[in-house]
Amino acid sequence: MSNEVKKKSPPDPNSAKFKLGKIATDAYVDAQAAKDRGEMIGWCSSNFPVEIPETLGLAVCYPENQAAGIAARGGGERLCNISEDDGYSNDICAYARISLAYAKIKDTPEQNMPEPDFLLCCNNICNCMIKWYENLAKDLNIPMIIIDIPFNPDYEVSDAQVAYVKAQFLEAIKQLEELTGKKWTEEKFQEVMEYSGRTSRAWLAATSEAKHTPSPFNGFDLLNHMAVMVTARGKKEAAEAMEVLHKEYLENVETGNSTFRGEEKHRIMFEGIACWPYLRATSTGLKSRGINMVTTIYADAFGFIYDDFDGMVKAYCNVPNAMNLEHARDKRVKLIKANHVEGLLVHTNRSCKLWSGFMAEMSRQIAAECEIPHVAFDGDQADPRNFSEAQYETRVQGLTEIMESKKGGC
Amino acid sequence: MSGLKESLQTFHKIASSPKEQLKKYLAEDKKVVICAPVYTPEEIVHAIGMVPMGTWGADIEIKEAKTYFPAFICSVMQSVLELGIRGEFEGASAIIIPSLCDSLKCLGENWKSSVENIPFIPMVYPQNRKADFGKAFTKAGYERVIADLEKATGQSFDDAKLTASIAIYNEHNAIMRQLSDCLNDYPNVTAADRNAIFQSAFYMEKSEHTALVKDLISELTKTEKTANNKIKIVTTGILVDAEDLLKILDENDMQIVADNVASESRQYHVDAKPAETGLDSLSCKFADMDNCSVLFNVDKAIAQYTVDLVSKYQANGVIFVMTKFCDPEEFDYVMIKKACEEKSIPLLLVEIDRQMTNYEQVRTAVETFKEILK
Repeated sequence: MSNEVKKKSPPDPNSAKFKLGKIATDAYVDAQAAKDRGEMIGWCSSNFPVEIPETLGLAVCYPENQAAGIAARGGGERLCNISEDDGYSNDICAYARISLAYAKIKDTPEQNMPEPDFLLCCNNICNCMIKWYENLAKDLNIPMIIIDIPFNPDYEVSDAQVAYVKAQFLEAIKQLEELTGKKWTEEKFQEVMEYSGRTSRAWLAATSEAKHTPSPFNGFDLLNHMAVMVTARGKKEAAEAMEVLHKEYLENVETGNSTFRGEEKHRIMFEGIACWPYLRATSTGLKSRGINMVTTIYADAFGFIYDDFDGMVKAYCNVPNAMNLEHARDKRVKLIKANHVEGLLVHTNRSCKLWSGFMAEMSRQIAAECEIPHVAFDGDQADPRNFSEAQYETRVQGLTEIMESKKGGC
Repeated sequence: MSGLKESLQTFHKIASSPKEQLKKYLAEDKKVVICAPVYTPEEIVHAIGMVPMGTWGADIEIKEAKTYFPAFICSVMQSVLELGIRGEFEGASAIIIPSLCDSLKCLGENWKSSVENIPFIPMVYPQNRKADFGKAFTKAGYERVIADLEKATGQSFDDAKLTASIAIYNEHNAIMRQLSDCLNDYPNVTAADRNAIFQSAFYMEKSEHTALVKDLISELTKTEKTANNKIKIVTTGILVDAEDLLKILDENDMQIVADNVASESRQYHVDAKPAETGLDSLSCKFADMDNCSVLFNVDKAIAQYTVDLVSKYQANGVIFVMTKFCDPEEFDYVMIKKACEEKSIPLLLVEIDRQMTNYEQVRTAVETFKEILK
């Protein structure tokens, strides 16, 4: 049984949690400060290569992070309604609906962002991103720079794809230089690449500590820390904070501590984006049964380790939602086996057609190969109207019963 | 007049019996390749000596495909998979599925496990399609399709044959554009007839379809023009083939005078122009395509295009036929709605789904729209 690590108030400024939280908060503060200085700032999609704005010294904000923050603080439905009143279907991704509403009203008590001067869009997460950013660009009348990274139906990334994507990276850099007057330098890129590598290695090392039983951390931590991995990977502060995180997890392994409260009876993998409006309900539903979500695909997906520009291009072609079923399956199987996972809990996310569209078959294949049970529940990353706590409870209960039965319990 | 009637009946018969068409070509010892939407390079299939047969699914109850797709995925994709699992494409040599929207990407991935006897050939298109690097990537995608087709069928590709096939497809594009305009003078040709002409093109070799359409135009021009008191409508969307919907339009005296529908005119907007090779010509054709929800366009030109169609064809209004769960269309709808409002063009949104059995809500909406347009 693991010992509990109680939350401290105020948080220790030397802790990874504090440092990571600060990086996430500073992103908004820094962007506003840049805006106040008269610099051009951007809104950026989550899997756009952060190395580009980072190397150019451009401040950017992330509408997906903002939408998740707004949803977690209870504003999701209100903003979705604003977009729906403008004609957007409630079938559209809730992040997009929240973001388009925010672009219109420009002020929310949950999380504000400075107005953008340009948009950076990359569709390696989904094509919905293109449509969302097209409409933002039209509504705000600002330039949109797109890096199209197509879904790869093959296991390996082809030379043709690398050439296509690399040409767009170079084009995007050129467009941004012309637009903002900032200049790309090889020295700065090398520095950013080094920090990105350090951050990624620390992240992969930290998340891999879930191989210990009990795990030194509660997997819900990953959902929060992932934001820094996606948006700030190339910053020195991110590298340092992730190294602290790894150190803390190592210490927990040594002392038998964990950020997971209570006894770790079962270990599962969680699939999908968090239900931000119901973070407490989804977390409690697991915790109350002694289930620790020890890993997610994020644990593996955002460890970008590469040695040069071409390597970076290829890394961005290999993000989770851009890879085929077999490749995506094998990455998950690896995590499940390495972290002694006993069950798979799948969030069928109403907002994410791509993630949910072939997850049923992938879950079956994963479950067969790993000999673990899998269940799915319906939910949404940001629209509270698409989640039923009762259904979630029933599905988690079912998963628990199968896991217990496999262990010889009743 | 009887010639016209027979001609229209032929289109209806073919449009309603894709499986019979498939059987017919197989019986002729021809290899058939199923082409899922959208912008699937049929010219390549044709050049290799096979019959490209389009599919946009069918109005059927989804059963087996439900074990692969969640309910909120577009019913075109769900029904294509359902047809595949049920064996409706039995005998086809392969299926080509492009990945221009998120649901199409999922269709390809699900196909591999669910319809194992018909190989899945992906066609990956670029969104940054107009620059040289985009055209090069399109060409690489076509080359991959060719390699997969050669492997699946044992037949080989020849670029000179592709150039000949492109000419056949360009001719078909032109005749379909001509037909759409020509029909405006003949209000007796119903919305259901118009759809049958467009839909049948998917199930026939294009040269055969071109010949039939030419005959139809010839028959039409023989008939006397009558007064046109119908309400002129522009349709836009993915699919406008639901029998009940078309019947409602006809019952309400609505004539489709132009469309920007993916399964209708949208695919005939652009011809392939001469280039160094056939494949270059085809790659440039894709680069030139536009005014479509699944093709990146930061200017949202589709909105102005819709308004321009209304103006060009002096239409009374626009019917946006939303194929449920199609998010690319759902994003564009808002821009089209704004553009229409700015020009005071009446716009009706109707939502349809391949599994819909009751169209009474649509009927009420169309009837109300008719009253507004009067």
